[in-house]
Amino acid sequence: MVKVKDVEVPEGLCYSKDYEWVKIEGDKVRIGITDYAQKQLREIVYVELPAEGDTITQNEPYGTVESVKAVSDLVAPLSGTIEQINTDVQDSPETLNEDPYNKGWLLVIKPSDKDAELKNIMDFAKAVEWHESLS
Amino acid sequence: MDEQGKKTHLYRFHAQNGKIVPFAGFQMPVSYKGIIPEHMAVRTGVGLFDVTHMGRVVVTGTNAEAFLNYVTTNDVARLVPLTAHYSVMCNEEGGIKDDFVLSRQKEDRFFMVYNAANRLKNFQWLTKQAANYSVNITDVSDDVAMFAVQGPKAEETLQKVVTKDLSEIARFKCSWTKLSGFDAFMSRTGYTGEDGFEVFIHNTPISNPRNAIVAWNTILEAGKEFNIEPCGLGARDTLRLEAGMCLYGNDIDENVTPLEARISFVVKLKKEDFIGKEALIKQKTHGVEKKRVGLKVLESGIPRFKHEVFKDRMKIGYITSGTFSPLLKRGIAMAYIQSKYAVIDEIVHVKIRSKQIKAQLIKFPFYDPGQYGHTRKK
Repeated sequence: MVKVKDVEVPEGLCYSKDYEWVKIEGDKVRIGITDYAQKQLREIVYVELPAEGDTITQNEPYGTVESVKAVSDLVAPLSGTIEQINTDVQDSPETLNEDPYNKGWLLVIKPSDKDAELKNIMDFAKAVEWHESLS
Repeated sequence: MDEQGKKTHLYRFHAQNGKIVPFAGFQMPVSYKGIIPEHMAVRTGVGLFDVTHMGRVVVTGTNAEAFLNYVTTNDVARLVPLTAHYSVMCNEEGGIKDDFVLSRQKEDRFFMVYNAANRLKNFQWLTKQAANYSVNITDVSDDVAMFAVQGPKAEETLQKVVTKDLSEIARFKCSWTKLSGFDAFMSRTGYTGEDGFEVFIHNTPISNPRNAIVAWNTILEAGKEFNIEPCGLGARDTLRLEAGMCLYGNDIDENVTPLEARISFVVKLKKEDFIGKEALIKQKTHGVEKKRVGLKVLESGIPRFKHEVFKDRMKIGYITSGTFSPLLKRGIAMAYIQSKYAVIDEIVHVKIRSKQIKAQLIKFPFYDPGQYGHTRKK
């Protein structure tokens, strides 16, 4: 893991420019929001996620995360069918602030076009560079 | 003036300790430690706000009382020296031009504190209406530092740094005092629902911020034993919403009357002529079509500005401000709905994105007034 200006960017993950991370777990993919995203949002108090069995599409909104003041769309980094949602973060949204890369995961999906779509998002090295460009 | 907006005396503190946002032409702190801990500090202990961005005018002259009675809706004749009241100014149609707190500093000297966003509009309006009165209206906004010390521990905190015995100042009473050696005016007022004070350090221009900075640091030091927090605009908004107080630009504006906003306690229809009186009397006789109500969400979801309100699948109104309540830990909102549906405890639905979320009409404030706010049992 590296820190870019106080923001954690773990190795081994891919990243979208919509501030989400992707972790390949065999034929499944785990998805969440980045440390940068949770630091921008601050005090997350509400998370709205789709249901298991629903499909999500790369670059399209699939849910919402809200802080006290702001509402932000969650935008899918990859397409696929939802196998699992993290109900713990719905009960305790502050988990997204406390541990965005582990306990704060949002979805596990079965990707529908992983190899092609991964080319549209950033690997670790590119993500570090990109985080450096963010203010 | 900076490109991003004006700075207050405390800008350096805000920038070092908080997150700055543009607000009404100023660069103000939205939060420091976080909206929730700042909010809770005010509900359970004490919080300190820099509200120097607000507009402030001094109105003096032998006609000052008569003039203010004409431009505002509350009864200024009843305001004896060293008292304050909440009030509004209306246009001829009864629409609210702004809401504010008016203090009578002396028999012929009044001090008006209004919203930052309306500074220019109000000053122009007041000046225009004053043509036939022998009064002087001076905008002192840039020469007065203004802080709010709010919460159940506000009195104990402030007592350590002012000369005046604060137990002698009742709610909505004012006093002159020394605050860490400087002359200050203070009123037992605020916009959080809690007990507390607003302090004004006159003759302190932003270009010479020293006295304001010393006073701010002195209050923070005095409040340490009560875990005082500096509080930003974020907590100011959640606190006023929980208390059921209107935010100008959201919950009230020139298209809404004080009767619709249900702040008719500031409208004294029996006093002599004032701007908007005729329209307000007419509306009172005919009744209002829409009313401001409080909504507590019964499911998960946070109502926001412009979300629509439904009853039996029929649209009956819209949200004017909504947030997550740090105290109730759920969504709360203010809405304007058709008057016939404005019945306490009734269930309505708020459309939040694609979902219809159940909400209940509640009486303001949102919290138990026996447990929180200035009415709490000690």
